[in-house]
Amino acid sequence: MSLTKEEVARLAALSRLCLAEEEMEKMRHELDRVLEYVDRLQKIDTEHVPETGTRPKEFLREDVALPADEAARSLIISNFPDRVGNALQVPAVFEDPKK
Amino acid sequence: MKEKQTIALMSEALEKGECSSVELTERYLKQITGLNGALNAYLEVFSEDALASARQSDERRASGSSFGPLDGIPIAIKDNMLLQGKSCTAGSKILENYVAPEDATAVRRARAAGAVILGRTNMDEFAMGSSTERSAYGVTKNPRDPERVPGGSSGGSAAAVAADLCGAALGTDTGGSIRQPAALCGIVGLKPTYGRVSRSGIIAMASSLDQVGPMTKTAEDAGLLLQAIEGEDPLDQTTVKTSPLVMKKPVSLKGLRIGLPKEAWGEGMSDAVRFHVNEAIEILTSLGAKVTSVPLPYVEEALAVYYVLMPCEVSANLSRYDGMRYGKRETMKTLAETYAASRGHGFGEEVRRRIMLGTYALSKGYYDAYYRQAKKVQTLIRRAYENAFTDVDVLITPTTPTTAFKIGEKIHDPLAMYMEDIFTVAVNVAGLPAVSIPCGDHEGLPVGMQLIGNAFEDAKILDIGYAYEQARG
Repeated sequence: MSLTKEEVARLAALSRLCLAEEEMEKMRHELDRVLEYVDRLQKIDTEHVPETGTRPKEFLREDVALPADEAARSLIISNFPDRVGNALQVPAVFEDPKK
Repeated sequence: MKEKQTIALMSEALEKGECSSVELTERYLKQITGLNGALNAYLEVFSEDALASARQSDERRASGSSFGPLDGIPIAIKDNMLLQGKSCTAGSKILENYVAPEDATAVRRARAAGAVILGRTNMDEFAMGSSTERSAYGVTKNPRDPERVPGGSSGGSAAAVAADLCGAALGTDTGGSIRQPAALCGIVGLKPTYGRVSRSGIIAMASSLDQVGPMTKTAEDAGLLLQAIEGEDPLDQTTVKTSPLVMKKPVSLKGLRIGLPKEAWGEGMSDAVRFHVNEAIEILTSLGAKVTSVPLPYVEEALAVYYVLMPCEVSANLSRYDGMRYGKRETMKTLAETYAASRGHGFGEEVRRRIMLGTYALSKGYYDAYYRQAKKVQTLIRRAYENAFTDVDVLITPTTPTTAFKIGEKIHDPLAMYMEDIFTVAVNVAGLPAVSIPCGDHEGLPVGMQLIGNAFEDAKILDIGYAYEQARG
């Protein structure tokens, strides 16, 4: 199988990655090679084989807010790319917000 | 080379009052100043904090309240482990200005045991690579030959231990990232059983496969460091309650059953690697171990399983880097463009490739063929190991197919780079412990032997490594 240029562009959009035009072709070629390699799994008969699960474990706690370490809190805030006071500032979610 | 500065020896010297932690720390800081420019093993050195921790350790010891064998020992941490108030980049530009809000559990525990953190070491971006060439902060050089790679992704930690720029280091291993660089640099590297060490505060790559582990000069040291960081953690629900690691440090291996996986010992390794690992196995048999060849069906599919499961988890885990709450944000006209630019320019080539692969394998119409099928083959691989461990105590393979390769040799061929993990990756897929032990040099470059143990038998493989090191001298 072989990915088309359009599929690579769609994957980039789904992955929220901007890719330069010249990178698209390189990416297409490299993804093809890896997919060709992993396609060997298709030949294995797994009809009655269960998927590996994660170990079930009870690790539930009360759904209450835990007090934050003050140093951790101020470092988290200092990591905000943009802020107003101690509040995180983000771009508008809607591209054309209604007034 | 002078006598190895092991944790065990330094700890003994500290205990006897032959040296202080401040002296050890100053000596390492001096060595780092001398060599790090050439090797680029450390991305940042925490001189002031390290000396302050060392002074505290010396005070504890003077007042008779030392924390134990790790107290006062200078170590390095890989740059994907949070240390409160310090930069943590995971080798990526997207986290260039990120400051860790708290300690990773493994780091906190190492500090609580008295370890002095010297600095953070270089790595392939988000631990994706086998050469440390994929770091956004320059390549790390192999201390044995600066024209060669140290392996990866924990290449900075491996080089720092090999060049004696720290007493020991922590690394992470998702498909071989502790063991492969350990082999290429000639040190010991242990990937513990999945669930033994907490992943809380470790920058995630593929959560079902990631594990933190020690990179050290001897098997005994790996045990000492693991004892400090292991154990159940409420902050990581995949950690398992298990009895603490105890090494027996045997000199005889009488009755030990070694299995050599038939499939692994076919083609696909250099003659030099085969020769040195065989030589090491002969030493183990001279200590009383018995060797048999065992079948491990489906294990040769592990690399393919890995290159489906890992990218899927990567694409999910790295979706958090959206430029909103932390990390690099490139503001564009629309939100979608802001995401795409922040991520597209913040991530390097290999990271982008794996995100794309995972997005593909998880997308509608492909999920069953890729992800679900890989999870089923993973079950077959786990069963193969379970069966093998009913007949043998340990499995042995080389850690890597060849010795350290040249910088630039494989960087333009992703699949060739992926093949570096051919012997190590199945262990992560099966969740087992494995350690790489140096077993000789070929033309000045180290060869590593991989000992694979049954789940939670980390102590057993370290004991075998210890017995081998003692016999070899």
